[in-house]
Amino acid sequence: MPTNIYVVDDDESVCRALRTLLMTFDFDVKTFNSAQSFFENVAGDAPGCLLLDIHMPGMDGWETQKRILDSGSKRPVIFISAEKKDDAAQRALNVGAVGFLQKPVNGQTLVDLINSASKK
Amino acid sequence: MKKKKIISKQNKVKEPQIKDFTRSGLEKKISRQSAELRSKRGQLREGADREKFAQKEIDIRTKAMEFASDCIFIIDAIKSNFPIIYVNPSFFVLTGYLKHEVIGKSYFSLNGFDINLSIAQEIKQALLQGKSFYGEMLNSKKNGDKYWSLLRITPVRDNKGVITHYVGIKTDTTLMKRRDLEIHEQREELLHVTRVGKLAEFVSSLAHEISQPLAAILSYAEADQRILKKMETQLQESFATSKFSKKSEDSMPAQIQAYFPMLQEIIQNIINDDQRATGVIRRLRELLKKNKPTFEPVNINALIKDTVALMMTHITSKNKVINFELDSNLPMIQGDRVQLQQVLLNLISNSLEAMEERPESRDLLIKSFLKDAKTVMVQVRDSGCGIPVENMKKLFSHFFTSKPDGLGMGLSISRSIVEAHGGHLEAENNIDCGATFNFSLPIGIKENV
Repeated sequence: MPTNIYVVDDDESVCRALRTLLMTFDFDVKTFNSAQSFFENVAGDAPGCLLLDIHMPGMDGWETQKRILDSGSKRPVIFISAEKKDDAAQRALNVGAVGFLQKPVNGQTLVDLINSASKK
Repeated sequence: MKKKKIISKQNKVKEPQIKDFTRSGLEKKISRQSAELRSKRGQLREGADREKFAQKEIDIRTKAMEFASDCIFIIDAIKSNFPIIYVNPSFFVLTGYLKHEVIGKSYFSLNGFDINLSIAQEIKQALLQGKSFYGEMLNSKKNGDKYWSLLRITPVRDNKGVITHYVGIKTDTTLMKRRDLEIHEQREELLHVTRVGKLAEFVSSLAHEISQPLAAILSYAEADQRILKKMETQLQESFATSKFSKKSEDSMPAQIQAYFPMLQEIIQNIINDDQRATGVIRRLRELLKKNKPTFEPVNINALIKDTVALMMTHITSKNKVINFELDSNLPMIQGDRVQLQQVLLNLISNSLEAMEERPESRDLLIKSFLKDAKTVMVQVRDSGCGIPVENMKKLFSHFFTSKPDGLGMGLSISRSIVEAHGGHLEAENNIDCGATFNFSLPIGIKENV
């Protein structure tokens, strides 16, 4: 049974490219252009790791992560952002995320992080 | 008879009566002459009084000229060299020249202190043609210091209409000029900061826009690399096990085999160049990383007034009127003056542009008030065309603009500035007409998130 991956990024081409890349690692990837549509389509207890963009119109990455935590879901979250913020990586860990990667992400690094997150 | 004569004497004092040499005639003559004297004395006294009065009048006028804070001077227009015959003390104070250096000297020779030669020429022509002169110019004092002055020279005519003198008034406008210049410089500086800020924000947004597809390209290339590797392995396996292997030597043909490293190399080159471009973009963003704003206590009302003062000429030239409803009891807020000024400047110029097409809408209102115990609100309310509903959502995003020559950065920068101050910037349409932009700023020191 392949691991489920959810990608939430407002940039369509980033979503598509991540899905393509992760499919070559045999993941089952679903993409969403907003946090709203992710919550509407994926149940809180559905298994799978979430790759989450930080800067999005509407609900941003931080709010999305908070909502997941508040709902009691144990879903592992990996933040992915183009923004280089020195404190963003630390902040991501502080709010309970598995990790923070800066775009463009290296495929192997991402997969290693997903695998270690899924084992937990 | 006697009585009659006295009467006639009184009535006709000056009538010569040569023939009357009698005693009574002599008496008459004496009394007549004394009457004459009395009348002369009366006339003299009257004349002296009148003179005294006139002298008083002249004294007052002279004193007034002496005490006037503007420089006043009189030029003799009858003499061909136009000598200066009077200057008041303010003239000495302003120019630094002494009395003997000015009085009796030709006005034209003193034009030396008019720095601009063409203006000196203009004044000379006016005087020679009996016209008046009006103009502002840069002058130089005796010690070489420069000062700005407003000069008016008008001809003085006698009863026959002949120009006998010119009277000149010179007002020191240095302070006004300096203030104008300062306002101009401040405005230029602010515009420069705004332009540089806009450019930086523009480039940084552009960098973001470019880095997204670069990230996508990298992922695609990595996916390709992996698929290719799988393909190579699978092909090798099938050659080893399938019917192909019987024909050749348990492996795929050398020509096909040779494609794989070539394709791998091409994809690796795509990845390398993508990473190179990403590096350039990343360094560019580092370079443009915003300087941290310097927070200091700011009186928001004073800041509003200062900003409006910078734009007053602009507002007036557009025939708009700016009104204030500022709560004078507002506490200080913590903020970066230049950045907040940028926000105000932006909102006001947007409002002016919104009212551009509507000459009948003239009123722009700026309000400040306490929203709650911790928040100050500032509102900029125009009576312009309002914001179309479909634009409301995109209003604050980068590159969104409804103007033909707009960059679409103003409102997005303004919002990020206000948010960096811990506040919010919002827009809404008014019920009657136009739109209102309001931003909140927290009182006291902003905590860093």
